[in-house]
Amino acid sequence: MAEVVHAPAKTDGIDLDYVRTLMAHFEPEDWQEGQELILSALQEINEHFGYVSVEAAEIVAERLGTTINRIYGLLTFYADFRTQPRGKHFMLMCHGMSCYVMGSQKLVQEMADKYGISDGGTTAGGELTIQVVNGCLGACNQSPVVKLDDDYHGRLTTESFNELVQRVIAETAQEQ
Amino acid sequence: MAQPTSDLPRLTSQKAFDEFRARAIEKWEAIWNGKKTVVSIGIGSSSIPVGALDVMAAFERIADKENLHVRKTGVDGADWTDVQVRVKRPGEPAVVYANVVPSDAKGIIDGKHRGKIIGVEGDQPFDGIQPLDTHPFYKYQQRIVLQDVGVIDPDSIEEAIARGAYMGLYRALFELTPEEVIAEVTTANVRGRGGAGFPAGIKWESGRKARVTPKFVTCNSHEGEPNVYKDRRIHEGDPHRVLEGILIACVAVGAERGYNYVGGEYPLAIQRFRKAVDDATALGLVGRDMLGSGKNVAFRLRTGGGAYVCGEGSAMMYSIMGVRGQPRTKPPRSVEEGLWKRPTVANNTETLSNMRDIVVKGGEWYAQFGTEKSKGTKLMTVQGPMKTMGLVEVPMGINFKTLIDEVWGGMRDGYTFKGIQTGGVSAGPLRYEQLDVPVDFDSLTPLGGMLGSGGFVVFDETVCAVDFARYLTAFNRVESCSKCVPCARGNPALVETVDRIRFGRGSQRDLPLLERTSKHVIELSLCGLGQVAPMPLLGMMQQYPEEFQAHIDGVCPCGVCPVSAEATVEALAAD
Repeated sequence: MAEVVHAPAKTDGIDLDYVRTLMAHFEPEDWQEGQELILSALQEINEHFGYVSVEAAEIVAERLGTTINRIYGLLTFYADFRTQPRGKHFMLMCHGMSCYVMGSQKLVQEMADKYGISDGGTTAGGELTIQVVNGCLGACNQSPVVKLDDDYHGRLTTESFNELVQRVIAETAQEQ
Repeated sequence: MAQPTSDLPRLTSQKAFDEFRARAIEKWEAIWNGKKTVVSIGIGSSSIPVGALDVMAAFERIADKENLHVRKTGVDGADWTDVQVRVKRPGEPAVVYANVVPSDAKGIIDGKHRGKIIGVEGDQPFDGIQPLDTHPFYKYQQRIVLQDVGVIDPDSIEEAIARGAYMGLYRALFELTPEEVIAEVTTANVRGRGGAGFPAGIKWESGRKARVTPKFVTCNSHEGEPNVYKDRRIHEGDPHRVLEGILIACVAVGAERGYNYVGGEYPLAIQRFRKAVDDATALGLVGRDMLGSGKNVAFRLRTGGGAYVCGEGSAMMYSIMGVRGQPRTKPPRSVEEGLWKRPTVANNTETLSNMRDIVVKGGEWYAQFGTEKSKGTKLMTVQGPMKTMGLVEVPMGINFKTLIDEVWGGMRDGYTFKGIQTGGVSAGPLRYEQLDVPVDFDSLTPLGGMLGSGGFVVFDETVCAVDFARYLTAFNRVESCSKCVPCARGNPALVETVDRIRFGRGSQRDLPLLERTSKHVIELSLCGLGQVAPMPLLGMMQQYPEEFQAHIDGVCPCGVCPVSAEATVEALAAD
């Protein structure tokens, strides 16, 4: 498994030098391939920083021969991308059918009722962002399952979900 | 990121490949006939969440002391056994352990934890342990696509080649003409595994005949459905099989470039597939002058961004071209005008993964499996509270009850079977009484179900039919690409009406209203997503009319829906 390196949490901007270095690896042989690479480039930026900022989008657009308008269109069409920074921690909540029949609806409800977050929202203190996955995380034997940063937590109940979320919030608050 | 692959030689002739393969087989045999105990651990997206990497580390720690050869494989599909470990002592068959945790490592090597044994490889009992193939989960399986999943290390091209990888490509390059390859595929009568069931041979034939160049082949590995994980498992367990299928298609059709479009949400599948492509390129199996045959096929991996609609052929091509994945009107079909307005043959991952064996063993061999109209095997996945859940590969036409009760072991204790949702978000559910049918492309449709991509979801008595219908319709509402109005506006309207019923505000008029609205969405939508989006709702209404009626009367029999709650804007907006 490749190590996933998380960028230092920054809320106001992203390291544009890193984006430039990243983009230097993209060497399309023609205009067509440049177009094909736009999504991949955005994905790498989104993966590394948790979101794609306007400045980063400008660098991508310039390198691959497109406009930021078009990139904004892509970012808002595809569910994986974010245009706002994430909280300190990031949770993917699986809401696939397996998780649904095993009760993930209750977790989604809990997230809205107790923490006041809708899909993709961040807790008030910026500790945790929760994104609901409409597809499937592929750990169906563990459903309902969430992926918190790099770790999976499976067979959740409302109680164990609350415990998990509150622990993350408390630990993050302590660190800060 | 790509591993350095400098230790792989570039093979420039048929002979060089033969020699490389002979050496790979020698190495493979040496692993199994050596003096070390071989410990194989299934590592994939289903077993990593339950600690597969820790189990591997635990065995590696004692490897030197206990004289072990510890290796990773893909997950063989039996999710219920995760973490699965196979221990092969010299001169004995491999014993298969289920649900292993790191602290079991030493005990397993010492011969303890016999309670965790589920079987032994091979067809003979050993030491009082029954063969794995007699276990109901494995008994009914006919593994073609999955034959090496859980056997080889997915990151090792040598192990793959030792097990016969690229022999189909080899035959397509050196022994058969493209027309003969297509003839084999036509004889096999393999129908598209993505759900539509269109014969692959006919598609390749029209691709071959297209006069415009360059041509492309795309492999659709974007499983956006919330209920299927088969393609991801093929990529994780045997990525070379997918790549080889794409290359065979390119050679047969005469395409100069193959694409694989994988959903961005499968990091492990992408990582392993990328490694497979890098290794195959280093060996000279991909690119210019493949194995010295004079044929050139370039390859590109493209990742999607989490949009269900990109599973639709034309939407996928737009997504590859770097624009929003919105389907377009047909004709022209993609085989006439697809990617970059060039003839493009688009197949599902599972379809292409069958190609190696079809080309090597022949179309007639393949056609012996399955039913008259649906040939071959099908990967099927189940979700929900089943005892032995997982991914299986069974011949087409297997009895649905056998599948549920034996292969997947029936319901877990404490759960009662209520229904099974078929065809993902594109068809309706079936009740238990209806399940005495063969599972193939055509048999489920008259009942209101669908084979689709082979993902089934079993739900129990605690799941409310109305709430489930709302969930399925809401999925289609979110995933609609918003290009055409019937789907973009019709699905929200359906969700709102179902919500009215869920909140106990429904009336008798709402049921005919749902049917009428559904009819509009089905008949007027442009693409496959919209045309089937209301099907789950209609199916639920047909199978569980009493529950819809109960909600209208003000009771949710399962106690799930907020029938007496106030319908706030926030509550309605929640997904």
